[in-house]
Amino acid sequence: MEINLFGKLILLPTDVIAAWVLMIITGPLVLYWLTKKRAWPVIWDYATSTHHRKIGTVYIIFSILFFFRAGVDALFIRLQLITPENQFWVFQGDKYNEIFTTHGTMMIFFVATPLLIGLMNVAVPLQIGANDLAFPYLNLVSVYLFVTGGMIFFAAFFFNAAPNAGWTAYAPLSTSTFTAGPNNNYYILGLQVSGLGTIFAAINMLVTILRLRAPGLKLTRMPLFPWASLITSFLILVAFPVLAIALLLLQFDRQFGSQFFMGELGHPVYWQHLFWIFGHPEVYILALPAFGIFSDIISAFSRKNVFGYTSMVAALALIGLLGLMVWAHHMFTVGLGPFANTFFAITTMMIAIPTGIKVFNWLFTMRKGVIRIQTPMLFALGFIPTFVMGGVTGVMLASAAADMQYHDTYFVVAHFHYVIIGSTVLGSFAGIYYWYPKITGKMLDDKLGKWHFWLFLIGFHLTFFPQHLAGLNGMPRRVYDYTWEDGVFVYNFISSIGAFMMGASMLIVLWNVYKTHRKKEENAGADPWDGRTLEWSVPSPSPEHPFEKMPVISRRDPLWWAKLEKKELPHTENHRASPVSVKTVQPMFLSVALTIMSFGFIYGWIWMQILGGAAALASFVIRAFNDERKPAYEREEMDNEQ
Amino acid sequence: MKKLAMIPILLILSGCNLRVLDPKSQTASDQAFLIYLSFGIMMFVVLVVALLFITFTVKYRETEKNRHDIPKHEEGNRTLEIIWTVFPIILLIGLAVPTVMITYDVSYIGASSDDNALHVNVTGEQFRWTFEYENGEKTHKTLVLPKDREVIFHLTSKDVIHSFWVPKLAGKIDVLPGEETRLKVTPEETGTYQGKCAEYCGTLHADMRFETKVIKQAEFQTWLSKK
Amino acid sequence: MSSKTMSKDLYGDKRMGFFIYLFVEAIMFSTLFATYIIYTPPQMGLYPGELFKLHTVVLASVFLLSSSGTLMIAEKGLDRKNARMILTGLLITFTFGATFMYFEVDEFYKFISEGHTVAKNNFLASYFVLVGLHASHVLFGLGWMIVLLIQRKLLPFNLFAEKHRIFNYYWHFVDIIWVLIVIIVYTPYLF
Ligand code: HEA
Ligand code: HEA
Ligand code: CUA
Ligand SMILES: [Cu+2]
Repeated sequence: MEINLFGKLILLPTDVIAAWVLMIITGPLVLYWLTKKRAWPVIWDYATSTHHRKIGTVYIIFSILFFFRAGVDALFIRLQLITPENQFWVFQGDKYNEIFTTHGTMMIFFVATPLLIGLMNVAVPLQIGANDLAFPYLNLVSVYLFVTGGMIFFAAFFFNAAPNAGWTAYAPLSTSTFTAGPNNNYYILGLQVSGLGTIFAAINMLVTILRLRAPGLKLTRMPLFPWASLITSFLILVAFPVLAIALLLLQFDRQFGSQFFMGELGHPVYWQHLFWIFGHPEVYILALPAFGIFSDIISAFSRKNVFGYTSMVAALALIGLLGLMVWAHHMFTVGLGPFANTFFAITTMMIAIPTGIKVFNWLFTMRKGVIRIQTPMLFALGFIPTFVMGGVTGVMLASAAADMQYHDTYFVVAHFHYVIIGSTVLGSFAGIYYWYPKITGKMLDDKLGKWHFWLFLIGFHLTFFPQHLAGLNGMPRRVYDYTWEDGVFVYNFISSIGAFMMGASMLIVLWNVYKTHRKKEENAGADPWDGRTLEWSVPSPSPEHPFEKMPVISRRDPLWWAKLEKKELPHTENHRASPVSVKTVQPMFLSVALTIMSFGFIYGWIWMQILGGAAALASFVIRAFNDERKPAYEREEMDNEQ
Repeated sequence: MKKLAMIPILLILSGCNLRVLDPKSQTASDQAFLIYLSFGIMMFVVLVVALLFITFTVKYRETEKNRHDIPKHEEGNRTLEIIWTVFPIILLIGLAVPTVMITYDVSYIGASSDDNALHVNVTGEQFRWTFEYENGEKTHKTLVLPKDREVIFHLTSKDVIHSFWVPKLAGKIDVLPGEETRLKVTPEETGTYQGKCAEYCGTLHADMRFETKVIKQAEFQTWLSKK
Repeated sequence: MSSKTMSKDLYGDKRMGFFIYLFVEAIMFSTLFATYIIYTPPQMGLYPGELFKLHTVVLASVFLLSSSGTLMIAEKGLDRKNARMILTGLLITFTFGATFMYFEVDEFYKFISEGHTVAKNNFLASYFVLVGLHASHVLFGLGWMIVLLIQRKLLPFNLFAEKHRIFNYYWHFVDIIWVLIVIIVYTPYLF
């Protein structure tokens, strides 16, 4: 559709128009509904509070929001691919490219990663007996950076400028020579801003886990989710800075005329190295926390301690370590030569060993236990076979010469959806059902949860299993079209049906949440699942500073043993200082500043870059003169003088 | 769990039709061999896991009888843990050795090929291919190759990265701007095979296809001279 | 629960967090060093040696490195709770840092006005990104010092000392990066 705006002719595809219309209709409705429900004070509370549970909730809510958005993209992908030579709406050519790029990028950066960080925020401090994360203020900044980055990326589509170079943004396609226009600038800025938030979150998590544990809670007594968070945070610290620099260099190529990744002078393959040095650890950043969640859940719902605790921890560390040196398995076809290819093939295969250790330990945790099948456990049970299937196709991909056949086909698409959805998505669902009482004080309905699980899991296998076969039959990924002769119609058709089953299952989740909060149910209680770890010893929803009297820990699963021996957990009054919490709007200001600056860079408006940049710097100064710890330090000074 | 059991059946049913598993050259059949081998190993792994999984979940489910049992505390089991560390290592060595051998085989190295080889220059650009033969002849939509003669492709790109892929003949190789990559293949059967661009390269990436016709050597000579 | 060691605990947290942050920065700079090494010397355009001026590098280094030394005065002042020493240390460090920035900006200005810009070749591009990122760190540090100078009177001593110490780590880190820049970026092409 063409629109004449102030004499300028603007071309707008109908999907963008539809989105605007939808937004203009639903926006006011939502605002009205929020006002009617008197939700604003609550929203304001969540927007300015540094309490880890509230921040975690914000992470989770926005991730789920983005999940719906990226999921709808996936449904469009599946509709376009449902039959050969199909013409669904506008999703051919560049529009299709925009949609899979948005889908992939959003799912990885604005769904999977923050969903897990959100769950860490909610659970980790409680599991280790800390009153909050080490830096509550920084934590609020992190969540704002994530939301800001996500929103910048989200906005691209509304300005008809969704990124279109794939989530991997391979150069030289992603440079301005081949994709002019602001599209991929949105990708760069969105990831840059949210990536910074992720780095801060990881620092926070690391310090919290290393320094804020309850007395007696040695690292060797820590539950596995905090362990996984610890190692994940370390991986984030190694991987995300590399991404930040890669994006910076790409931005120089796009906007300031350098040629790092293109032209006569640049090396396109260098981008691939940088991207995958980040990208491969990133996939373990997605998987490890999920492993942690499952370890805790499987143990709790089998009424048994984790089997082979030490090797579980060692395996986490090994996966993390090996994960840092396998990146080139994404580049087997680039022509790095057989030596590099076999080297990376072998290191990649080695990851199967620690992962296998984990799988068998989970299985043997269940053995001789009493397996209570409630929703969180159901997700954990669905995870094991699903993830193993995805993992073993990963090992098939690792076989370098064979990967030359699989690479960039739907076989790879099938592999990574099996591992990511198998671990991260099922893990996050499990975690949400599991900790929902800790977050809200209410239990999600178990029956609806089971419906959600089965519909999702069956839909999932229907969607992605046939894609292995489509890939082996020569269907490349990132194509909007195929022919009848390709012989992949049936696979794609089944796949599209499965995708809609997954979509339907998500509607059940919405219904479940709605239903749970509609009725004024009594509180779920501190320990609804008969849990084993510390988070179940504090009230639900978890209060601020729940461990004013710190529990003293003498072994793993302290709550379980206390319950078994019918004793209270021993407490101490004398322990280290808690982090200082605060209510603040400063991060909001920073978020606005960064939004302005980012749009300045996206559209190359220098005055906006300067304005936003100056405002962002100003927020440092404002912060420097408004330190929430000042009163506490003053009090201490007075106490000490007496 | 039924789904797991159906995998091999499904695959065997469709296996012979899948292009990647229907090789028409030594290179592609080496790769197909690797795929079958790794698939076999992986099926074994999946079956072991599935077996344990089903046994445990069925046997140790919560029932009226065991509802109030407290399972015994169990730190781990050294022997078991050694078993599931060592077995995967053995399986992986079984996969790694042929992987290394075949990877070296299929990677085109230097001048070690025979003099009779046919050299074809392949150029990728948005969004078409150019195949240039030694006598300067060029084609775009079809790549014609002689049967049983070694072909060496010299590939470069004019713009972004593409990837040259004829599933029945060989795995793909990327086509980079400003750099030459090579691929060596000896087609062993006449026929027409699909060729595709397998690296996302922009708007019409999906349409960057070509046909590969493998014909008898004599026919090839006449075809080439007629052009 | 306000234990007597509150500020110690919180400072400990912060110091660890900041060290981790510096680790992140170190990785960013390593990536840029790698980039620089890959693209230098350039395939076309001037050889780096013809561009770099020994005396600029030496002068800049002298000022920046000795500023790390003068910052020690302020650190001593913190230990002894001596306001004079803190002030002197900060002021001298600030002056030296600013002088360093003068040489940096001067060098950048010369390069650019002679047409050696980011777009010329990738040696220059990676040079500008790497050294530019370092220079912006120094600039940020200068701003930080101003803030510290003002905060001196406003904050309880423990809080000020904490902020000051964190700054010290930052400044020393930036200095170390400069040493690496001298070793990796300049030296191979100066002699
Ligand atoms: C959560 C995310 C996640 C996880 C955990 C993994 C896990 C693994 N991945 Fe995957 N991968 C991705 C996400 C992930 N991957 C993504 C997103 C891509 C594509 C990116 C893109 O191009 O867009 C990708 C692509 C990808 C490729 C490149 C394919 C290509 O583009 O050509 C390769 C190649 O080696 C690979 C290998 C592996 C391996 C060996 C594992 C291993 O870690 C798996 C280990 C697990 C098991 C093996 C199962 C359990 C083990 C046992 C039961 C023990 C016994 C097993 C054996 C003896 C085999 N992956
Ligand atoms: C966390 C990671 C993640 C997750 C969860 C998913 C989830 C899904 N993905 Fe995703 N996918 C990627 C990461 C992920 N993907 C990546 C990284 C790529 C590569 C991109 C690239 O090549 O650059 C990719 C690519 C990709 C492709 C290949 C595109 C191509 O190469 O051409 C396909 C095709 O089928 C696909 C499908 C799906 C489907 C059907 C789901 C489903 O699971 C989605 C289920 C969710 C829903 C269906 C949402 C439910 C919502 C509703 C039902 C809303 C109803 C709303 C209203 C009524 C308003 N994905
Ligand atoms: Cu060329 Cu894809
Ligand atoms: Cu990988």
